[in-house]
Amino acid sequence: MDEVTLDALRLTVRVATVATAVVLVPGTLLAYLLARFEFRGKGVLSTLLTLPLVLPPTAVGFLLLRLLAVDGPLGRRVLGFDLDLILTWKGAVVATAVMALPLVVRTARVTFEGIDPRLEAMDRTLGHRPAAVFVRTTLPLAYRGLLAAAILGFTRAVGEFGATVTLAGNIPGRTQTLASAIFAAQQAGQDDEAMFLLVVALAVGFVAIYASERLAGRTGAAPR
Amino acid sequence: MSARTGIERVVAIGRRGTANRRETPAPEAVPATAGGEALAAADELEIAISLPLDRFALEVEVKTRARVTAVFGPSGAGKTSLLESVVGLRPASGRIRFGDAVWLDSARRIRLPPERRRIGYVPQEGLLFPHRTVRGNLLAGAARARRAGAGGQAAPSARLEAVCELLELTPLLGRRVGTLSGGERQRVALGRALCSAPRLLLLDEPLASLDIPLRRRVLPFLARVRAELAVPMLLVTHDPRTVQALADELIVLRGGRVIARGAPREVFTDPKVFPLAEEEGYETVLPARLESTGAGSSTVRLGENGDGPLLVVPRTDGAPGESLLIGIPARETILAAAEPSGLSARNVLAGRVAAVRPLVGDRGLVLVTVDLAAAPGAALPPLATEVTASAAAELGLDAGKPVYVILKTAGCVVYGGRGQA
Repeated sequence: MDEVTLDALRLTVRVATVATAVVLVPGTLLAYLLARFEFRGKGVLSTLLTLPLVLPPTAVGFLLLRLLAVDGPLGRRVLGFDLDLILTWKGAVVATAVMALPLVVRTARVTFEGIDPRLEAMDRTLGHRPAAVFVRTTLPLAYRGLLAAAILGFTRAVGEFGATVTLAGNIPGRTQTLASAIFAAQQAGQDDEAMFLLVVALAVGFVAIYASERLAGRTGAAPR
Repeated sequence: MSARTGIERVVAIGRRGTANRRETPAPEAVPATAGGEALAAADELEIAISLPLDRFALEVEVKTRARVTAVFGPSGAGKTSLLESVVGLRPASGRIRFGDAVWLDSARRIRLPPERRRIGYVPQEGLLFPHRTVRGNLLAGAARARRAGAGGQAAPSARLEAVCELLELTPLLGRRVGTLSGGERQRVALGRALCSAPRLLLLDEPLASLDIPLRRRVLPFLARVRAELAVPMLLVTHDPRTVQALADELIVLRGGRVIARGAPREVFTDPKVFPLAEEEGYETVLPARLESTGAGSSTVRLGENGDGPLLVVPRTDGAPGESLLIGIPARETILAAAEPSGLSARNVLAGRVAAVRPLVGDRGLVLVTVDLAAAPGAALPPLATEVTASAAAELGLDAGKPVYVILKTAGCVVYGGRGQA
């Protein structure tokens, strides 16, 4: 495996892992909010959270680029400092996180909606505040579904291309992920290189999903 | 069980009476709640709420100091809604107070969340936590029991042990709840509530989800909790047997309103109420003690202390002297004006007619209650029997008239005793 491929592999795993970690907590809380509570603007929030799923990824990347540009609403001029996200690996994290969020939220929401709210109510009658009930009862019951949400988010982040390449670029050794490396190799006519990268991507995806499903099966939480 | 373990258990879970309550008030006149046990003012439950439901509004205004209060009514009468309001899971307007703790007072904008009411809720379906073992479920409310420990209550581990002994849960402790039978689930749900050191136990149709044989096995555990623990209970049920076996005071709910209340034996024979109870197959439930067991049947002596008349009932396993409950369905009885002979039926009980009441709106039947002749001091609840109006007229049934009640052995139902499973 050459240096460029190895860098792309390392970066892909790092970006996907960090993006999943970043998305998981807010995604879970948003999903719980949508699953359990009625409030004004719920429909709008739900739609906004789903949008990245239907927009072209390049459009999402471009939107992020405009937001983070020097004179954008999250740019240096407004914030007074530079978030340093354009053309950096952190930018790749932001792009993949935004693209992974809808999948995480939707999967987690369905999971929460499948949990009998009376079990949570029951736990409250035993003397626990709602926050404690969430940790003691809701999360353990949602364990498998949340793991599935994390896997989906991770695989989405591994495969993300359009938004990442738009915001973070395709700089070998710095922001080039497996997806963008395959695109670069194929564009340059290096089909052997592209094929090799494809096999690596396949292996990464297979190992991630297989390992997580084994983990979920062995822990065996929440028989339903 | 020996007397010694009984005493330990009482100490561990909370003594009967009010000696261990800090806020024991000055004794005031105890209201006559139907001959049942009355509690101190610290345990008075006041419910005065209104709650709009689908087809009608629930309007209830009651105060009770009975140790066990039952809310009885047909399905859809608003019973569960009432209970959920007391639990704090359903917003109602009005006032709910337990002792000096105000749980709901709309006028003062008070609505205590369920976690601050210190109740033990046993919902109809049990609602055990599927991600916990039986032990984990039982200890789910242990943190509250520990916090309550300042008031002189026993440590949660002692409490767990006592509850396990009382409800025979020890062999189940390591099991996952998915592997439990229906009766076991109900016992674990009851045990979980008791382990959380509740001030009031709330039971929603504790036996409704069980089939008949299981009911017979679970009812004695409820009776045991009632007999051995100090905690007051409010229970909701459409089963007249559960009411008679457990309750000191009965509140009858229909269409969201209280239509009768008082001592269960009197309220059930109220002509307004009896038809509701009869729909569930009304049985008079009488205390009894096991006398002996033969090949196909057992003999019991009626009465709390077993000093009433003998009765031959379907075979039941148990030790002589054991407490049992005997159900006598109102429709399974035959009345005779003179002592009959040459019958295949095994039981002929002498008594006097207490009251004859026409049943409203239905098939020409009358409800005849009979005071059974019993040894002095062994007062038995009146036996409810149903006969046609023409038969009642022909026999000249009137209050005070001596009659004989004829019962087939197979017509009697045995419920495991108050002491044994």
